[in-house]
Amino acid sequence: MCGIVGLHLKNPALHGQLGSLLAPMLDCMTSRGPDSAGLALYHDEGARTVMDVYKDVGLPKEICARYDIASRTGFQGIGHTRMATESAVTTEHSHPFTPTEQLALVHNGSFSNHATIRRRLVREGHVFDTDNDSEVAARYIADQMTKGADLDDAMRMVLKEFDGFFTLLVTTSSQFAVLRDSFACKPAVVAETADYVAFGSEYHALASLPGLAEATVFEPSPEVVYTWSR
Amino acid sequence: MTEMLPRPTARAEPAADEIPADGRRRSHTFPPESIAQIQRMAEEGHYEIRGWGAKRALPSFDDLTFLTASISRYPLEGYREKCETRTVLGSRFASKPIELDIPITIAGMSFGSLSAAAKTALGTAATAVGTSTTTGDGGMSTEERAASQLLVYQCLPSRYGFNLADLRKADAIEIVVGQGAKPGGGGMLLGQKVSDRVAGMRTLPPGVDQRSASRHPDWVGPDDLRIKIEELREATSWEKPVYVKLGATRVTNDVKLAVAAGADVVVVDGMQGGTGATQDVFLENAGIPTLPAVRQAAAALREIEMEDQVQLVVSGGIRSGSDVAKALALGADAVSLGVAPLVALGCNSRTYQRDGISHDATEDYRALGTEPGHCHKMHTGQCPVGIATQDPELEARLDAAAGARRVINYLKSVTMELTTLARACGKSDVHNLEPEDLVALTVEAAAMAGVPLAGTNWIPGEQR
Amino acid sequence: MVQVTEADTVLNCAELSTREVNAALAELPDGTHARITEPWGRHNLAVGLSNSCTIEIAGNAGYFIGGLGAGPAITVHGFVGWSVGENLMSGSITVHGNASECAGASAHGGRLVIHGDASARAGISLKGGTVLVGGDVGHMSGFMAQAGVLLVGGDAGDALGDSLYETVIYVAGRIASLGADARIEELTADDVLTVKRLVDKAGFDHIDPENVKRVASAKQLYNFDALKDQKY
Repeated sequence: MCGIVGLHLKNPALHGQLGSLLAPMLDCMTSRGPDSAGLALYHDEGARTVMDVYKDVGLPKEICARYDIASRTGFQGIGHTRMATESAVTTEHSHPFTPTEQLALVHNGSFSNHATIRRRLVREGHVFDTDNDSEVAARYIADQMTKGADLDDAMRMVLKEFDGFFTLLVTTSSQFAVLRDSFACKPAVVAETADYVAFGSEYHALASLPGLAEATVFEPSPEVVYTWSR
Repeated sequence: MTEMLPRPTARAEPAADEIPADGRRRSHTFPPESIAQIQRMAEEGHYEIRGWGAKRALPSFDDLTFLTASISRYPLEGYREKCETRTVLGSRFASKPIELDIPITIAGMSFGSLSAAAKTALGTAATAVGTSTTTGDGGMSTEERAASQLLVYQCLPSRYGFNLADLRKADAIEIVVGQGAKPGGGGMLLGQKVSDRVAGMRTLPPGVDQRSASRHPDWVGPDDLRIKIEELREATSWEKPVYVKLGATRVTNDVKLAVAAGADVVVVDGMQGGTGATQDVFLENAGIPTLPAVRQAAAALREIEMEDQVQLVVSGGIRSGSDVAKALALGADAVSLGVAPLVALGCNSRTYQRDGISHDATEDYRALGTEPGHCHKMHTGQCPVGIATQDPELEARLDAAAGARRVINYLKSVTMELTTLARACGKSDVHNLEPEDLVALTVEAAAMAGVPLAGTNWIPGEQR
Repeated sequence: MVQVTEADTVLNCAELSTREVNAALAELPDGTHARITEPWGRHNLAVGLSNSCTIEIAGNAGYFIGGLGAGPAITVHGFVGWSVGENLMSGSITVHGNASECAGASAHGGRLVIHGDASARAGISLKGGTVLVGGDVGHMSGFMAQAGVLLVGGDAGDALGDSLYETVIYVAGRIASLGADARIEELTADDVLTVKRLVDKAGFDHIDPENVKRVASAKQLYNFDALKDQKY
């Protein structure tokens, strides 16, 4: 149970501010998840896209300062503050979960059939780092994509396979995707402008963004996969 | 003496002479109760609804015994030296914690499920012995507020009758996430009990079968619960303790999350906990028994080093002073009783008193298809002794003052049993009972309670 | 967007804790006005108040705004989070912006007006309050609503009015789908009058009271369907 935020910058002019825009968004989510926090940030190095992951135990503000998040640049990033539910408070239990070098997932909610899906993935040879339910979703999506699905399809498969409550934010080297379960009981707000797509568990995580007054703001509908591509 | 032994030809049931022994062989898988249940389902097309709690045999406090004093430990004088029972709940954030004279409270039972006379009797008795009662899923009745000096106001998923004025009149607030009888399920009150007054208090048409929500309408999950708790505190100036009540399932995680969300008191209700009405399948097949629930909840609080700041209240099938003493020894700060005080009031009694005359209620129990001592028909509203009913005729069978006297006697007796055991363990305060004062009589109880099997140092599942 | 109004009391969230803000609001004499500035998504502002004051929140606020209220008239110039006006008893809350999920949850009385959109489960468990939404509402709105009125000026999401009791829902726009036991009923002259009165109170000018749909309970879930044998 947690707070999640994300920012997908459409306008390259904003790439220099990725970290400075995202860090305060994460800080706003402190009360939703005081145990640990983490971020995945994407930037280009020549023709290559690089995903950097930072996660640690403690308050979001301290973690952002520790890793100098505000100075990071790039085209998108997601972040998570965690109130631990079913597994321990450690760095590796912190989100985002990054099963591949390009894929990152943050989750707010609680899956109710993850143990079965985990067993199936383990039988197929997948290796898990934690007992966290969110890691199962991350590895499941990565597995679907390895088998040829695009992110849209993989997210739709999550709807089919996973039971329980979830708001998911998933990023790859080119995409930014949001999905909520059929009940949509865990909060989610999206704001979109010509310059960016922003996601927050609560509206106030978005309130500091430039040009928000002109943004299209909506709460994602249940069982709809929203994706944005570069 | 040999003539006293039964003769080899004697039969226990001579009437069955003509049926060979093999023809009466009982099936363990399909005993007569299972057969009756299947046949009932086939006739009626829905699950069984009933009151009371789990009826199956479960590992319980009965499977533990105290290592009272001898040479290595010295007892207090059982009839003379004081043994403190005072209990404070809600000292973490609330500016006005609840101060109880005994660590035994009355659990939430709704007006609607219970008659007004029953609520009044419980409140009067609790006040007399210096403890609290709890409202239940139907709002605060004027009778209960008047009778009960310390009243815990429940905030349930249904929010029936929940309002700011009553919130302010309450002495503590209990956010009900779940209950032991039906963890994960919502409340139920069948139409027979939804009288005009009950319906009015719940803003519903009289006579509907009230099937309440399982999730709260305005928050889901611990991150949002944290904000909800702050709201209730803000609305009451941070004066009143906030309890969070959980049905015992994933106790370790749930207790830690309730604490993270800001609870002053965590109430853990085990599988034996009672209810006015729910599905039988829920009562018998969901949650964990109270015995392991206490141990897990206490361990969770210790793990996060909050056992001195957050109080643990335990409920679910607690009947006697020995149950209370064992719950306290395993780490509870107080216990909560529901079914037991109803029994003290007269639930399942063969007789009831009206105008000073004793009447036999056996025929009324039979009309419900049961007998005194076995009745779990609270859901019908036809309580033969006037407790779980809204029928004025039946309600008149319970005299609130007489009922209160019986509950006072019962609670006093339980307290005496509790202090008897505590003194014998050398404790001048019942809260000084500890797990090391207990051993288990069965391997199951040893594993669940985390205490050694009697006569050994062995705690199943623990590293030695 | 923020309207500047003469305020008797100004409470700045950047300088005050939620406790300090709410304690100051609770002390306001009837008839006075307070303005809360820089809320920045702060939760639980103006909750549990019973004085008859007017309160203005200048900006976006968080969860449970005006919750449990029994008196004040609260106006928010911005967005609000989950469960605005939850368990409202009386008084009013007006939001010039969008509201997140569960707006007006379990409100027993009073009036909640949302000029923007409300999200999922608007008017859930409603118990007599009036919830007026100028824009759209999300899925499961009016879920298990027991009494009172929900008016939707825009479109309604899926499963509108699921397990409805006695609440009546009026929808000016489209209804994605009805929930279990909810049905569309014929609009009566009384309904038109009611909607006209509500629209006027809310200050909505885009709703034609004669062109709304009335959604109410079919009452098929009031009792177990096996009730006929009276055996439980």
